Amino acid sequence: MADSIQAKLDNYRTAPFDSRFPNQNQTRNCWQNYLDFHRCEKAMAAKGADATCCQWYRRVYKSLCPISWVNAWDERREEGTFPGKI
Amino acid sequence: MAHQTHAYHMVDPSPWPLTGATAALLLTSGLAMWFHYNSTTLMALGLLTTLMTMMQWWRDIVRESTFQGHHTMPVQKGLRYGMILFITSEVFFFIGFFWAFYHSSLAPTPELGGNWPPTGIHPLNPFEVPLLNTAVLLASGVTITWAHHSLMAANRNQSIQALTITVTLGLYFTALQAMEYYEAPFTIADGVYGSTFFVATGFHGLHVIIGSTFLIVCLLRLIKFHFTTAHHFGFEAAAWYGHFVDVVWLFLYISIYWWG
Repeated sequence: MADSIQAKLDNYRTAPFDSRFPNQNQTRNCWQNYLDFHRCEKAMAAKGADATCCQWYRRVYKSLCPISWVNAWDERREEGTFPGKI
Repeated sequence: MAHQTHAYHMVDPSPWPLTGATAALLLTSGLAMWFHYNSTTLMALGLLTTLMTMMQWWRDIVRESTFQGHHTMPVQKGLRYGMILFITSEVFFFIGFFWAFYHSSLAPTPELGGNWPPTGIHPLNPFEVPLLNTAVLLASGVTITWAHHSLMAANRNQSIQALTITVTLGLYFTALQAMEYYEAPFTIADGVYGSTFFVATGFHGLHVIIGSTFLIVCLLRLIKFHFTTAHHFGFEAAAWYGHFVDVVWLFLYISIYWWG
């Protein structure tokens, strides 16, 4: 399983079509993957497991999200004022 | 042709439309002065002239109808259409605020945390005072129907009692809401939640106050024998308005208090 994730990561070009977000407005797609990455990291750290599989979400949100949003959200997580549930 | 040969009411010349228009101008410019230059003089003047216009115009209508007999059947029919159209326009007014609420709450943005209620907002428990408020308004609907039937049955004591209870319930609602507003853990400035909540419930509360005022005037007129068992359109109009206000509250309660 870890191999195929590594393979997927190696072959990554850009975010693939996600049928959960079929329309033009991809805000939610960016938001969801940002959340999923950080939730994945947190969960893996809590279990003491390998967080490599979380990299997929990171790649997707890096492809989709405006950099200013990511910076603003990272700052807020730092300050403890991030409104999303991680 | 010394007298009118039709059943309609050709109203005598009256200054109130002009004073009303002036009042509207004073109110709107007064609002602008208050918002931008921190002065309330113009607005106070606007409120005063609006109040005086309303009181004198409606007093004239009571004089023309109850005391001078100008409100024949066709005239009354026109007034019914008018009241229905007015209430319909108010329905659309509220539809706008419900639209705003659903626009923001059905697809909550990342700034809110992607959820509704937004992160950090603690909504009021719908099963506490809001539920009492629902019961109060529903009860007022019952009592005003009781008052209406008593009026039509020429039962003076019961109609006065029932209308008094209706008014009391309306005032009770206003008092409860005022207390809720004071005690609420969030304000109108708290993001889109605060905005949608207070603008929608705020305009509703204003309409409750308007409705209660209308009903108080009806109560006074009822006590002074203005109404007959078959002709009491002012009372019916107040009852329609009261029911409308109650229905708006039910939608508010279900959408904002409960689902929201």
